[in-house]
Amino acid sequence: MKARPETVDAAALDEAVRLVTEVCERACNGDLEARVPVISGSERAARIRIAINGLLDHVDAFVRESGAASAAAAEGRFHRRFLTQGLDGAYRAAAEQITHSNQVMSRTAAQFADAARARQALADELESAVLTVSEQVATAATEMGRSANGLADFARVAVADAERGLGTVSSLRTSSDEIRHAVDLINQVAAQTRLLALNATIEAARAGSAGRGFGVVANEVKNLANETSASSEEIMSQVNTVQQSAADAIGVLEAVTNRIREMSVLVEGIAQAVDGGHQIEDVGLSQLAEVLRAEVSRFVSTIRAS
Amino acid sequence: MKLIRVRPSGQERTFGADELIVTKTDPRGILTYANDVFLRLSALDEDEAIGQPHNLIRHPDMPRAVFKLLWDTLRQQREIFAYVVNLAADGAHYWVFAHVTPSFDETGRVVGYHSNRRVPSRAAIAAADDLYGVLRAAERRHDRAQDAVAAGHDTLQRVLAERGRTYDELVWDISTGGRR
Ligand SMILES: Cc1cc2nc3c(=O)[nH]c(=O)nc-3n(C[C@H](O)[C@H](O)[C@H](O)COP(=O)(O)O)c2cc1C
Repeated sequence: MKARPETVDAAALDEAVRLVTEVCERACNGDLEARVPVISGSERAARIRIAINGLLDHVDAFVRESGAASAAAAEGRFHRRFLTQGLDGAYRAAAEQITHSNQVMSRTAAQFADAARARQALADELESAVLTVSEQVATAATEMGRSANGLADFARVAVADAERGLGTVSSLRTSSDEIRHAVDLINQVAAQTRLLALNATIEAARAGSAGRGFGVVANEVKNLANETSASSEEIMSQVNTVQQSAADAIGVLEAVTNRIREMSVLVEGIAQAVDGGHQIEDVGLSQLAEVLRAEVSRFVSTIRAS
Repeated sequence: MKLIRVRPSGQERTFGADELIVTKTDPRGILTYANDVFLRLSALDEDEAIGQPHNLIRHPDMPRAVFKLLWDTLRQQREIFAYVVNLAADGAHYWVFAHVTPSFDETGRVVGYHSNRRVPSRAAIAAADDLYGVLRAAERRHDRAQDAVAAGHDTLQRVLAERGRTYDELVWDISTGGRR
């Protein structure tokens, strides 16, 4: 060996060229598993081998890193950085560019996550607000429904009472008419009595002293008749007052019942708005609150899912 | 075929920040390629390494659970990062930050595995050493290998659960903290 080193070297170098060419061709075609095997007999061939394999190791490392780091970023595993250590020059520059892109992606992803979190929070708030409102509306609706029903009952009772009052007042008017009638009769009797008394007085005067006592009685009868007639007038004026008052009372009572009837219609309207009407499409306030709540929770779950 | 295990000398060896330790194995973990940096650090000649199983440089301080995780992950065709302390043929040891990935052929079939290793920072080594101490202690309470692996695995999962991190995240936490 020592005698002809250049010959051995030449043969080993030929072999090295063949092996290196083969490995380079495989690597060119993307087969980064290829490495130059051991070449014995030449120090220079060994150095070529180490140089070529070192080159392939670095290309291999860069390809594995860029593939894996980009895949990790795409999966959101941003803690997995591109390992630039052990890679220099153009490898490192490209690696740093990839790292930068991944950081931008990471920031964008973080912003997306923030926005999504904000949206979730908003959805939570909306949901709880609507829940509170719809609960309150439902409670208020129940309360209002109860009040409206109470009012309607009250109105019915009030109308009945007023009608009874109207009856009472009307019968008062009838009684007044009867009283007036009776008083008229009394007046007629009194007038006739006065005439009778006048005739008696005249007769008593004609009878002279024999009729004196009779004349006294006739005078008494006349006084009685006058008093009766005066009392009747007094009664009549009072009856008139009563009748006027009764007429006023009737007017007032009628106005009150009309108002109460109008109020009943309004109350009925409230009750319908609260409980819903008889038609299917007439939904009540409580149902509306329930529909609102259901719609919002559907909306909120869509937001959460997106 | 396993060489006779050397006794760790406690002597530490390290390598340059610009260097990569590279090995390739077949799908069973038999070395098919080792670069010059690997051979230098491991104090091996090329013909002593190629054709040998990769546990050729296994250090007794390495918890079994870490290698279980390594192989489980590779079998799912995923990459794995791990801090590993290796035992050189002369008894010295060296820490690496290893990245192990499957190699695919053009049809997408796994034809073997590949490992690139970088030199870790002192802080990262200290953290990994602490973690492995805890896992080792759990494993050494068991005589049967499979019980030991299970105990180490459980302990690792507990540590991760306590920190609320995945294994991957923890490894990167350590590497970020010790970034040079
Ligand atoms: C590509 C690749 C690289 C590996 N590198 C190492 C290494 O550097 N050190 C190591 O101890 N094991 C390494 N292993 C794992 C070994 O194959 C083995 O699982 C480990 O040494 C445990 O050996 P044991 O099961 O005999 O304990 C590697 C495996 C693969 C596939």
